[in-house]
Amino acid sequence: MALLKAAFTVLTSALLLVQSPRASEYQVKAVFLFNFAQFVEWPAVATPDSQLPVIIGILGEDPLGTFLDETVRGERLGLRPFEIRRYRALTDITACNILFISRSESERVGEILAALGKRPILTVSDGDDFAKRGGMIQFVNDKNRIRLRINLEAAQAANVTISSKLLRVAEIVRTPRP
Amino acid sequence: MSPRRTLCLLVVLAVSAPPARAQQRDSIEALKHLTLDQLMNIDVMSVSLRPQRLFETPSAIQVITQDDIRASGATSLPEALRLASNLQVAQVDARQWAISARGFNGTTANKLLVLIDGRTVYTPLFSGVFWDVQDVLLSDVDRIEVISGPGATLWGANAVNGVINVITKDAKGTGGLLVTGGGGTELRGLGSARYGGGLGGHGNYRIYGKAFSRDPTLLSNGQAARDGWHMGQGGFRLDWEAPDSNRLSLHGDWYDGRIAQASPGHIAVSGGNVMAKWAHPFSARSDLTAQAYYDGTHRDIPGTFGEDLDIYDIDLQHRTAVGTRHDVVWGVGYRLINDRVVNTAALAFLPAHVARQWFTAFAQDEIALASDRLHVTLGTKIEHNDYTGFEIQPSGRVNWTFSPSRTLWAGISRAVRTPSRIDRELYAPGQPPYFLAGGPGFRSETELAYELGYRHQQGALVLAFASFYSRYHGLRSLEQVNPPNPTPIVIANGQDGESYGGEATASYHITDDWQVHAGYTELRVHIWPNPGSTDTSRGTAESHTPNRQLSLRSSLRLGAQWIVDGGFRYLAEIANQQLPAYAELDARLSWRPVAALELSVAGRNLLHEHHAEFGTPAARRDIERGVYGMAQWHY
Repeated sequence: MALLKAAFTVLTSALLLVQSPRASEYQVKAVFLFNFAQFVEWPAVATPDSQLPVIIGILGEDPLGTFLDETVRGERLGLRPFEIRRYRALTDITACNILFISRSESERVGEILAALGKRPILTVSDGDDFAKRGGMIQFVNDKNRIRLRINLEAAQAANVTISSKLLRVAEIVRTPRP
Repeated sequence: MSPRRTLCLLVVLAVSAPPARAQQRDSIEALKHLTLDQLMNIDVMSVSLRPQRLFETPSAIQVITQDDIRASGATSLPEALRLASNLQVAQVDARQWAISARGFNGTTANKLLVLIDGRTVYTPLFSGVFWDVQDVLLSDVDRIEVISGPGATLWGANAVNGVINVITKDAKGTGGLLVTGGGGTELRGLGSARYGGGLGGHGNYRIYGKAFSRDPTLLSNGQAARDGWHMGQGGFRLDWEAPDSNRLSLHGDWYDGRIAQASPGHIAVSGGNVMAKWAHPFSARSDLTAQAYYDGTHRDIPGTFGEDLDIYDIDLQHRTAVGTRHDVVWGVGYRLINDRVVNTAALAFLPAHVARQWFTAFAQDEIALASDRLHVTLGTKIEHNDYTGFEIQPSGRVNWTFSPSRTLWAGISRAVRTPSRIDRELYAPGQPPYFLAGGPGFRSETELAYELGYRHQQGALVLAFASFYSRYHGLRSLEQVNPPNPTPIVIANGQDGESYGGEATASYHITDDWQVHAGYTELRVHIWPNPGSTDTSRGTAESHTPNRQLSLRSSLRLGAQWIVDGGFRYLAEIANQQLPAYAELDARLSWRPVAALELSVAGRNLLHEHHAEFGTPAARRDIERGVYGMAQWHY
């Protein structure tokens, strides 16, 4: 019993440690992806049935693991539940509202965005220069904080409306014209 | 008694630690409450605190999702557990199941920890599970985590060879009215209703009720056995989430059932439990969870035995990050059981009435050694029980995620199975002279396990492999008191053993609408008597396990309305029961004409009219092919 008490005393002291709010990078990115659904409007044709799930897709090697699944579990956007899909190939992407493109696909981002064309899918990635290359939202790591970079023109071209609340906290960039 | 009491007063204590992923969920819940501005100001660790990704967990974990359960057409928890290929699952008769991991299977398999929403459901009577009374509304299950291998350090007592963790959905995820009804052969009838809604702005609730009736199995002569049964169960769950992120949960279940038996009378089972949980996040890096529950069970088997068991259990767990490299989880627990057995002429537990208590404390530190790639986890559990005093169960694990899609892990753990009532206090017949005279000297069985595993994700393909070698000391044996006289005998620790093998799984999304899964397990268990032991059974009383098993599943969505699912399984022979190898197929067709309505027809054990899964030739029961139809309305 003395041993138990000693262990208890030592461990209680852990409670007293000062804690700053920190979280793992992809935990926060998962929560951002979930939040985007509330700040984006898709054209009506993209969501013909109000009961259909909001589909968040992941293309390429998935760094989010269970974070995204945990984040959307039990959540709804109005009546619509969330669904996570993991895509192996571009051709697998059928119905999709938000597409997270993994860094593993960085080299062929141009090709992916070209293939998606004007389909009303919110494209998101943390790959370098994603927004400048025509992606809609880019996660930028800035001294342990996550910033957003939004290519508004790319979103408008695909008829995806991004709320001013989201635009306000983001850096707006354009695709450089040749 | 005094220091124990002091400890009780100091804290609310714990036997079983809530799953690590619950903490992940807590921190995500906290993050979800932040505004965009706040979210952008969260300090992101370059080092991930813990390997919360399932993919990086340094143990052999398989997860059965709600979709998997629905696709399988399972109508009971044991049927759903067949979906984890790292478990050995055998249906014994209409109500009994033998379920274990890494061998040592039997109707009283005793090396597995089973939790339903954090409530330990193995019985202190024999350290095993009465599967006939472990029921949940399967459509409310969020997921079932199945870990093969020792999990004692973090998970709690009895996790010698595995942990089954059944997690139901938060009440927030089960709103509206869900009505299910159906029936057929074998599953004669099943009906359930669940209703959920909101309570003010921050709370949600659900209530449910269900009932089923199941047909008897077949005796070896082809006649129906007397083991048909029916059961009713109801329960509730309340979840509150305060604006300050404190979370409170209260849930309970009650059940009552009747089971036919060969001897006169019916087996009567009833019980209820109620649990309260509280989670308090200090920050994304630190949280505290506490839980307390009561679990009461009643079982009357006329002519054999009767039991009334009350369990009181209280747990506290705290997780905190220390510096940038350490993620510490520690907890304490207290458990009290009050067990009253009604002895019969056939057997007796002596003393008939016991109160026993357990004290546990555990601590685990996960250390990030190299960025977020290499983690070492060191921990130990210290337990005090009334039979053997202190027991220490340390483990060391390492996981190396050498690319986002590849993880290698290894572990060394010591685990103990402490005595249960059956090991120390079982006498037969019910009056002297006894031929079985208890186990006055029975100590804990101990295990040292070495594990090595690898996971690989390549796009839509996920591969996992786990291998293990375990060495056991002091396994249960039956010893002659006055050899060479065959009786009396006592229960002792006269056997040693080893087990080794591998578990492999592969999942592949062929398309968005078609996914396939394969699981394969190869397993060997050897048990031998120690010098001086008179037990020559070589473990035939302790482990009934096939050497290999294979499962294949396919789920195919056809358009928006139809789903076709199939599940094939092959299990090798159980040599020490002369039970032949068998293969079986389950299939299900589901039609959803409108979003709110699902109609399905499911076939179970389709390949043979009947087959046996467990038991010696004389005691064996045959499980018949079954077909049932089901309608589910979600409003």
